[in-house]
Amino acid sequence: MERLSGHARVSSRARLLAVVVAAGGILAVTPVSAADEVTQDRLLNPGKEAGNWIHHHQNYSAHRFSSLKEINRDTVKNLKVAWTMHLGGIEPGGIWSHGGLEGTPIAENGFLYVTDGWGSVYKIDAHGGRGTLAWKMDPKTDRDWAGAVACCGVDNRGVALWGDLVISHTLDGRLIATNKETGQVAWQRNVADPDKGEVITGAPLIVKDMAITGVAGAEYGIRGWIAATDLKTQKEVWRTHTIPGKGEPGSETWKDANNSAAAGGGSTWVTGSYDPSTDTIVWGVGNPGPDWDNAYRPGDNLYTDSSLGLDATTGKIKWHYQHTPNDPYDYDSVAENVLVDIPGPSGPLKLALEADRNGFAYAIDRSNGKFVWGLPFVKKVTWTKGLDAETGKPIEYDSSKQVQTYVASVTPSRTNMETDICPGNMGGKNWPPTAYNPDLKLWYIPVIESCNRIKVEVATPDKLKPREFWTGGGPSQPFTITGSVTAIDVTTGKVAGKMETPFPNLGGILATPELVFSGQPSGEVMALDAKTLQKLWEFNTGGGVNAPPMTFSVDGKQYVAILVGLGGAWDKWFIDATPELKKIQPGSMLYVFAL
Amino acid sequence: MLLASVVALNLSMPGVAYGQSSQAPASDPTSAGKAVFAKANCMGCHKWHGNGGGGYGGDALSLRKTELTREQIIETVSCGRPGTGMPFFMRGAYDETKCHGMNRREASAQMPPEGGTFLRTKDVEAVADYVIAHIKGAGEPTYAECVAFFSNTSRVCDIYKTQAQKPEDAAVGAARSQ
Ligand code: HEC
Repeated sequence: MERLSGHARVSSRARLLAVVVAAGGILAVTPVSAADEVTQDRLLNPGKEAGNWIHHHQNYSAHRFSSLKEINRDTVKNLKVAWTMHLGGIEPGGIWSHGGLEGTPIAENGFLYVTDGWGSVYKIDAHGGRGTLAWKMDPKTDRDWAGAVACCGVDNRGVALWGDLVISHTLDGRLIATNKETGQVAWQRNVADPDKGEVITGAPLIVKDMAITGVAGAEYGIRGWIAATDLKTQKEVWRTHTIPGKGEPGSETWKDANNSAAAGGGSTWVTGSYDPSTDTIVWGVGNPGPDWDNAYRPGDNLYTDSSLGLDATTGKIKWHYQHTPNDPYDYDSVAENVLVDIPGPSGPLKLALEADRNGFAYAIDRSNGKFVWGLPFVKKVTWTKGLDAETGKPIEYDSSKQVQTYVASVTPSRTNMETDICPGNMGGKNWPPTAYNPDLKLWYIPVIESCNRIKVEVATPDKLKPREFWTGGGPSQPFTITGSVTAIDVTTGKVAGKMETPFPNLGGILATPELVFSGQPSGEVMALDAKTLQKLWEFNTGGGVNAPPMTFSVDGKQYVAILVGLGGAWDKWFIDATPELKKIQPGSMLYVFAL
Repeated sequence: MLLASVVALNLSMPGVAYGQSSQAPASDPTSAGKAVFAKANCMGCHKWHGNGGGGYGGDALSLRKTELTREQIIETVSCGRPGTGMPFFMRGAYDETKCHGMNRREASAQMPPEGGTFLRTKDVEAVADYVIAHIKGAGEPTYAECVAFFSNTSRVCDIYKTQAQKPEDAAVGAARSQ
């Protein structure tokens, strides 16, 4: 824990008051008190506090929709930078030359909570039209240890709030609770183990006094899991492996003699969603490993590339839906599931929407995991001719085959050792979150329109080593990659619009009643018309946007906030697909806009 | 792979440099090279242990298994390797100084990427000396080697400790289970 100075901490309330008086004497400032305690009741009803943003994905359904509308279709042209703040966390570590920013700020009663790539938490006072750092908690992440096994960048996607604590993760596997008022670490607990290739990049999900943690590391031979920590006792409540143990249901989908399941991947590094009406956590599961040599792991490889419905109390798997069985493409399904209810022919349909790395958007019935509809949301798909209308499986899927080949001429395999596929292995849609406008019933996907080249290396058991890559090949980037914001009408399951962008969408989306906000890794933050996707406003931050926008209000005024600092997987592994982005400098900065 | 004469690169190449280095007893003469290995982010692709390997992006070759000579390593670092992900680290390579007899235009699509930082001739030599002395020909990475590389309190080396103990543990386990 790093204090700015004892003085700054002690005097923060006095200073806060001074700011408010200077700004015109609004006396409604409440110091942290019982009213600021984040309870399950508040988490269930974020709509009652529209000026706040208290969930990573804005609500339990992962809508990333705010009803604030001072900034709207008519006024957005007047949107300007209100204030900025430089953050830290770009130091190198392991195989990484610098960190980046992928986090979503949390906003509560005029204070923002943001993280940098190495997991430092910053509390920022946003009252009075400017940002003042209240405290910074530096977890002193073991950079060499964690950075050497972080496949895809030095990232941290943000915090959660519970009680009077700020709950965060570190890349080196810790869950940390920090006192909201003082910035002092209250307690911490090891959840993931970098010695096994496990790291944590996602924000925690708080459900009923538990922090739910997902793990990354499928490129390093982990066996993935989702874990629940009781925040009151700091003990683990449950840990559900995403790859069944020997004899458990689903273990029959790993048919090899190498025990490939034990290192079979199935990461869970994107924060999931929660349906309180059925007490179900819906969480996405990543790719199997080795990524590109699927002959090493014959069988469907459950529950990789799946969406899971888990009993929140026990962690038991209630249902699953797998998108790409026996995946030879690195088409993971870690993406968030967006929970949406729409009228159906026989009563309301309770859907879970997921936009997959494989280029298809899926709606499944979240009461039982059954396929409802699916469609491609990218311009180009070569690995399959389409989805089966009944099951949603790729039509070439053959359950009698141990090793799937899909469209064999383009599919990486031991007989097709170098091949070009679309989408490329970044997707499709990667971790950057979608947003859903419940008024318009439009779902907005941040798209990577891509193809890339895959080279297969045959995996053998002796190549599986702790903390070493376990990928069975690798991608290269001979093709230019672009992007889009693609809207899907959830009532019809059809594409309603596509706004193409010169670069892939690496940041994600915010929806408000009349607008959609997003960014570009070339620096632009933009606002689009929610119905037509026409660009209404744009500002160039001069950095690379790699994080989602969010919005909040304080002192009765609406703000849009976004972290800017290109990092992640892109500028190490995929930059050749976007050569113009090579000039984007590492950076670490919070931008806040207002009218 | 094309290997042009090193002389064509205008690099000074005293054949005795390595021999000289290995005579210095007081401190490790290759520590300058280790610093370059970290600073130029050779680790980013080849890992701290030099084994490189697999991966999500380029497939950096193992420097532990390399058969290159000091001169060849200096050339590889200076000029990169055309048509691969191995960057060049010499300022002016493929511009003022041709590499493999090529300038940028001639190399065209084969042009290797540019290193994140340019190295002086002295630093290129130092990193080559370091590779020769500490990486080339070494077997599997060890705990001692890892601790020497990082010389900090990171837990990055812990797995090598347990690995070193593995044969014993395995033997004990086997004995018990019989
Ligand atoms: C961006 C990734 C990257 C960086 C940074 C990098 N290398 Fe490489 N290096 C590679 C790749 C990829 C190859 C394999 C080229 C090939 O396929 O022939 C390679 C090959 C080599 C070889 C040839 C090995 C052989 O046996 O042929 C040497 C020597 C080498 N690198 C040394 C270094 C040194 C020293 C540094 C730091 C100054 C460095 N590399 C930085 C990616 C990198």
